[in-house]
Amino acid sequence: MNKIIALTKKELHSYFSSPVAYIILIACLLLFNVLFYMLIEQNREVSLRDIFQVMEFMFIFIIPLLTMKLFAEEKANGTMEFLLTAPLTPSMIVLGKYFSMLIFYSLLISITGIYYFIVEYYGNPDPYSILSGYVGIWLEGALFIAIGLLTSSWTRNQIIAAMTSYLILFSLYFSISFTKYFTGFAENFLIQLSTRSHLENFAMGIITVSDVIYYLAGIVLCLVLTGLSINHRLWQ
Amino acid sequence: MSILTVEHISKNFGTLQAVDNVSFEINQGDIVGFLGKNGAGKTTLMRMITAFLSPSSGRIFIDGDDITKHSLTIRQKIGYLPENPPLYTNMTVLQYVKFAAEIKGVAAKKQAVQLAKVLEDCQLEQVKHKTISTLSKGYKQRVGIAQAIIHEPKLLILDEPTSGLDPMQVQQVLALINNQKEQRTVLLSTHTLPEIEKIAQRILMIKSGQLIIDQPLQTLLKGTNQQANINSANLVKGNINTADENSQAQVLTLEQIFFNHHQESASVSSRTLIQTPSQNVSNY
Repeated sequence: MNKIIALTKKELHSYFSSPVAYIILIACLLLFNVLFYMLIEQNREVSLRDIFQVMEFMFIFIIPLLTMKLFAEEKANGTMEFLLTAPLTPSMIVLGKYFSMLIFYSLLISITGIYYFIVEYYGNPDPYSILSGYVGIWLEGALFIAIGLLTSSWTRNQIIAAMTSYLILFSLYFSISFTKYFTGFAENFLIQLSTRSHLENFAMGIITVSDVIYYLAGIVLCLVLTGLSINHRLWQ
Repeated sequence: MSILTVEHISKNFGTLQAVDNVSFEINQGDIVGFLGKNGAGKTTLMRMITAFLSPSSGRIFIDGDDITKHSLTIRQKIGYLPENPPLYTNMTVLQYVKFAAEIKGVAAKKQAVQLAKVLEDCQLEQVKHKTISTLSKGYKQRVGIAQAIIHEPKLLILDEPTSGLDPMQVQQVLALINNQKEQRTVLLSTHTLPEIEKIAQRILMIKSGQLIIDQPLQTLLKGTNQQANINSANLVKGNINTADENSQAQVLTLEQIFFNHHQESASVSSRTLIQTPSQNVSNY
């Protein structure tokens, strides 16, 4: 566990020792604030349901920018050899990097918590549906990070890593849009595959076991595949 | 006692055979020089010893453990410096070496003492709070060695540790490596023989993936002296005509002999050296 914590701290140091982390934090918050204001102004609802859906779409663009360097940079700089010849298992390396990005993402999400207090000032929002929405958007981001980590482990080129992430995330997000071309199992599969259909429940204040399992299973699958990807390169 | 045993190791990358049936043993406390031209297979072999690459065939044992079965245990016993020091250049020296100590499992209680010792051994105390990106290449190399020895490994593997350094920096790094012999076994690669001559007790030479020489340094140095004597004799007899050639003959290094002896035009003395009765001199 100490080794995972050391790796997590190293990654966070790497983020916060460069302006990239601060720029992304500030840019995201500015963007969310503008969208939050526009949605409240337009809908006049004491709810964060719409902002969660906007955040989901924005994170498709933002998270690959955060995750693309996780392994690609290590490979390009030659430090991957340092990690893989140290007494670390692939799972330690994967979890160390994953937790660091999860902490960064949680920080970003937690700052938007101020939206709750703003809508509460003007009305009586349902705190449980907002909390549920935050759980949903946190799980969604956690899944996106796991996907970004996986694609970063495939290449030493950060642009390729980001583009591959975009491809996967857009496929997941828009799969529900193609249901009109299918029926039966295929239609149901596309609905279940889409992140949109799962986050929608959370945003409405409904937490179902199947939605939680969807995110957790996706996260575990991506982390296991990342570990295998590293192991494959280790023993090539 | 053998710390490293390499048994019939081969490594193929597609149709390219990078390492071809290499076997040798290294005893505890030795400093062994690993010599070969660029592309000879040194780095591939070192990467297999450090469990970074898997061998296509053959087995490697470190301290009695098979690397394919006990990879994690083995990596705890190895300190490795790749050809390009694997540094996180946005960290300070202290942050980086501390990070290396943490991921290499140095106990929290021992970390402060161990960090102080390694920084002193590597003469990094004065720059410990400096960001690595601002350091000279010589300092960066020493930081690379510091991360390799922070967990007190039994076997230290250094891939061309003096590559790209100026003569002063080379001396400093070699002195640092020489100081390690009291505490651990060292295997270091280079393609510049005179450096190894100063600190190594034994030479392994690899060419086209094959181990062609495995001998104590003293035995090989005898060969060099023979070469120099023969060339001097030739000079006296008038076989070498110019002052430049005279100078060249006097400073003839083992490297030149080794790298030329396989060619058809190799000198008589080179052939004498290669024909030295030894089971370890192969393929000639």
